[in-house]
Amino acid sequence: MAKTALYLILLALPLLAHAQTPSAELRCKASGEDFVYDCSIMLTRDGQPLAGAEVTMSADMPSMPMAHSVRPAKAQPGTKPGEYKARLDLEMLGEWAIKLRLDGPVRDLLVLHYEFDSKGAKPSMGGHKMEHKKH
Amino acid sequence: MDDYAIGVLTNITLFSFVALSAYLLLIAGEMSFGQQAFFGVGAYAGGILTALYGWPLPLAALAAVALGALAQLLVALPTLRLRGLYFAMATLAAAEMARILFELLHWRRSIDGELAGPDGTQGFRGIRWIFEHGIEPLHYLGIVGVLLALVLALFLMLERSKLGATLRAIGQDPELAAAVGIDVQRVKLGVAAAAGALAALGGVLYAHHNTYVEPRNFDIMLGVHSLAYALIGGLGTALGPLLGVLLDIGVLESTRFFQGYRMIVFGGLVAVVLIYRPRGFLDERTVQWLRQRFT
Repeated sequence: MAKTALYLILLALPLLAHAQTPSAELRCKASGEDFVYDCSIMLTRDGQPLAGAEVTMSADMPSMPMAHSVRPAKAQPGTKPGEYKARLDLEMLGEWAIKLRLDGPVRDLLVLHYEFDSKGAKPSMGGHKMEHKKH
Repeated sequence: MDDYAIGVLTNITLFSFVALSAYLLLIAGEMSFGQQAFFGVGAYAGGILTALYGWPLPLAALAAVALGALAQLLVALPTLRLRGLYFAMATLAAAEMARILFELLHWRRSIDGELAGPDGTQGFRGIRWIFEHGIEPLHYLGIVGVLLALVLALFLMLERSKLGATLRAIGQDPELAAAVGIDVQRVKLGVAAAAGALAALGGVLYAHHNTYVEPRNFDIMLGVHSLAYALIGGLGTALGPLLGVLLDIGVLESTRFFQGYRMIVFGGLVAVVLIYRPRGFLDERTVQWLRQRFT
């Protein structure tokens, strides 16, 4: 009996580790002010909304690393579970690497690539997927 | 200090490494448009060693620096025979070759059940040594700042040494330097290796700050900026490239006054400075004047 329980625990461990993996999706709309976007971040973990995280969003331009210093924005919880909202003040249109730093129940760093135009942002280079690792 | 200030200062510090590497070649009389390649070599090598093989960052940084030096030495062996514009074009071609190699580089390993490592144009994600070791951004800025201070101290010592005078002699007139018995080719190869090492150090620090890199990070923009910072800041002292970085990232960028037009302003500034002060704000004459005045 004890052996069976041990096997079950060992089998469940990878699943538990997988459950800790967060995922993020970004939706941004132009605010009307030049290069300023109102963004909504949906955080999920194992398909479930991830609530209670402290999310800080920053950005860098892949083609001009270190040349832009976008002010990091602390995201506020949105109306839906797992939703966070932040305003992103970029310097120009084009592709940006969005960095999400998660603190709180899950500590992680996600990097998403999005193409920003005059209306909003769409994923680029597989940007809808997230970079993750358990913590 | 808030996150924004820390970010700006970290960017200034990281950019200074690659600007100093361009400066080192400039004072030896060579203009390189390709220092971004060795920055990339450092970033990829350091990232691979920490993220895929679990090396501690200091050790990975040493290996990356050695690799950066070797890479630039290999490029310098055939290209240092060229002069002026031809050398500049050769370094640019070498850097583009390196960038394309990064695009072709697929070095993936399973780490904790997930594939990690360079994935061609998709980049290299998960360079998380700093994050996993709980090093906060302010602490990392301190580490990078101390390393830059050490590099600057070495530069200032070099500039007061016989080797520093030799470098400037080669930079001013290589034929005359050779005529007085200086092995110009050998000194230039040493300079190239040191410049590659310096750029690679910046690269490994950048990769771990950013947690991901991709081939586009190392395109010509980075090379042109690093060269421009050295030229604007001045070739009279190693503080010149730092002044160039400070002017662009510290003033033009962080004030956001020129939002959207900063690159145009920066390009105009480069043109004006090169016309009126071809060796930058802190050129040799200004540095000499400042030394006489303050010492």
